[in-house]
Amino acid sequence: MTWQDFIHDMQRCTRCSYCKYIPWRLIRNFRFSEGCPSAARYHWHAYAAGGKFNLAYSLLQGAIDINDSLLEVVYKCLMDGSCDIACKVQQDLEPLQHMQEFRVECVARGYLLPQHQPYLRSLRAEDNMLLRRREERGYWAEGLEVKRVTSDKAEVVFFAGCRYSYDQDLWPVARAAVHLLQRAGVDVGILGADEACCAGRAYELGYEGELMKFAEHQRDTLATVARTAGVHTLVTACSDCYSTFKVLYDKIGKKSDVEVCHITQYLERLIQEGRLRPRKSLDLNITYHDPCHLGRLGEPWIHWQGREYKPVGTQIWLHDPPKRFRRGTHGVYEPPRNVLKSIPGLELVEMYRTREYAWCCGAGGGVIDAYPDFAQWTAAERLEEAHEVGAEAIVSACPWCKRNFLDTAAITKDRIGIFDLVELVERAVGGSE
Amino acid sequence: MKNIAVCMKQVLDPEMPLSLFRIDPETKSALPARGAPPVLSPFDENALEAALRIKDDEKAKVTVITLGRRLVRAVVTASLAAGADELLLLEDASFNEFDPFLTASALAAAIRKRGPYDLVLCGLQAADTNAGLVPIGIACLLGVTCLTGAREVRLKEESVVVARSLAYGYEVLEAPCPAVVTVTYEVGSLREPGVEAFMSASAKPVIVWTAADLELEQAGMAGGRTEILRMEVPVRASRCEILEGESVQAKAEQLVSRLQQAKVI
Repeated sequence: MTWQDFIHDMQRCTRCSYCKYIPWRLIRNFRFSEGCPSAARYHWHAYAAGGKFNLAYSLLQGAIDINDSLLEVVYKCLMDGSCDIACKVQQDLEPLQHMQEFRVECVARGYLLPQHQPYLRSLRAEDNMLLRRREERGYWAEGLEVKRVTSDKAEVVFFAGCRYSYDQDLWPVARAAVHLLQRAGVDVGILGADEACCAGRAYELGYEGELMKFAEHQRDTLATVARTAGVHTLVTACSDCYSTFKVLYDKIGKKSDVEVCHITQYLERLIQEGRLRPRKSLDLNITYHDPCHLGRLGEPWIHWQGREYKPVGTQIWLHDPPKRFRRGTHGVYEPPRNVLKSIPGLELVEMYRTREYAWCCGAGGGVIDAYPDFAQWTAAERLEEAHEVGAEAIVSACPWCKRNFLDTAAITKDRIGIFDLVELVERAVGGSE
Repeated sequence: MKNIAVCMKQVLDPEMPLSLFRIDPETKSALPARGAPPVLSPFDENALEAALRIKDDEKAKVTVITLGRRLVRAVVTASLAAGADELLLLEDASFNEFDPFLTASALAAAIRKRGPYDLVLCGLQAADTNAGLVPIGIACLLGVTCLTGAREVRLKEESVVVARSLAYGYEVLEAPCPAVVTVTYEVGSLREPGVEAFMSASAKPVIVWTAADLELEQAGMAGGRTEILRMEVPVRASRCEILEGESVQAKAEQLVSRLQQAKVI
């Protein structure tokens, strides 16, 4: 679909502002009632999904053109999908898909943000968006006794992703994930330096061509290691990678035959099977932050092809065949919570905005690259919410969340504990590097 | 201070997926690809790197000249972010990037108009046409020497010295300045500008000239001399046949027989 195909959504938006908040019946604390960080930060309708429908409709009618102000509105959006889920409580519109296609249109017309260009150049030249050299990709696993699926047989491939591969502060998480899998007797291997970016983040910026290119590469790579090494499952600890492999590649028709699991799903399976036993008590009061790409954006893609028609009047549209919408309810919510609940001594308290209504960490949609102050403001809001529910630590399951929380806490001098779920499981299971 | 002009072309991303490549049969040209913006020709990035290396060693002003019908600012300003001092955009709907004579005429006119220059650097060829005609055309029109395929470029007081790879070694050539030099990938990849460099690039001068500014008509160099008869995506078809046989030897014999029939061996 193109952005123009959402014309009926543009016309049907009633400006109810559901896109700005979590559903009103779920609000427990007015201070933490907003869902869209962009609308909450900039206090202007244009920054919310409804306003973007208005802008797109104006553009479609030739009333406005794309300029720097419009680009700022378009790119000061975390693409976290909060608006999309809240909107579908009220109306069945597709604000996130519309926004995605609008960004693709901006790129197609050559309206690019200069701030994003170094990252795109890095992706093209070095297969990563972290401005690092390709040769450095495998460094995170140096000294780690783990198979390489390019030369050894293994049933499971652990896909580190760019953030874990290049962010030295986060290497212990990726290494701990591999240790846990090995400890549970999983026949696991890695791609190491032969990994490449999944391109999910480039796609969110509107660079659809990059997603197609890397999707084809990943599908070929997985088909090869499935044939030569016997790999049947891909496990990743990165929520962005999970969403890309699981959802986006399916969306563009380039899904691999290999099963895709997030580490939280796989750890839950291992714990339930008794292959991993978290025995050590951690005695910590934590809250869990649902990463957008694991939660609402991790919901499997629903393919639909058909027509929209008006049964009566001008406002009511129906779909033939009936369309099923992604409402965020089928994201990965319970596995991480079940894993955390299996750790003795951990007390899990929920924040006010959880599961499909979780507040974004601030690292999504290219905002962390183009508008770092907005990314940090968004993270600071989440850390404040964690404090508000009395948590000593905030736990996530995505390296991008952890990176942005760490950076923000350093600036705001917030002393809350910031963990990845894998780290806590490793502590509870005992034995680390 | 030396003045160096670098000609850089904006091209379709050579690495974009084939499925995104579309041709407009009416205009016989490639359509902008959805979700895959254009890039600077990688060969021309080598030329800019050669210029920046000269600038690393001595005082020099590097002017990048880019010609096109519609230039994407965020893409072409990468040259400024990498270290060029000024960007001269030749932008006009009448330009045809696939016409080497017209392109060379416009670039030569712009170089002449912009002021004195010591060296014009170009990539060996453009990444879209792979023709390599424009640099030689520029040299002809400017009436200066053209040295092609340099792997190293150095400027002396009044001359340029280049090294060119040969099958068994390399040769060193020297020509008086001003001169046009084309470089190969051996010069090295363009240094990667960081985020701050991209942001500060917006403070550097960007000049935009149209075809009228170049007075091509008055010079008798307007109008294209190339006619594109046809443009199409090559169709690649492959047919796979599995040879049956009771043993490996039988299969091999069949294979040899079939290859002989096909006159491959």
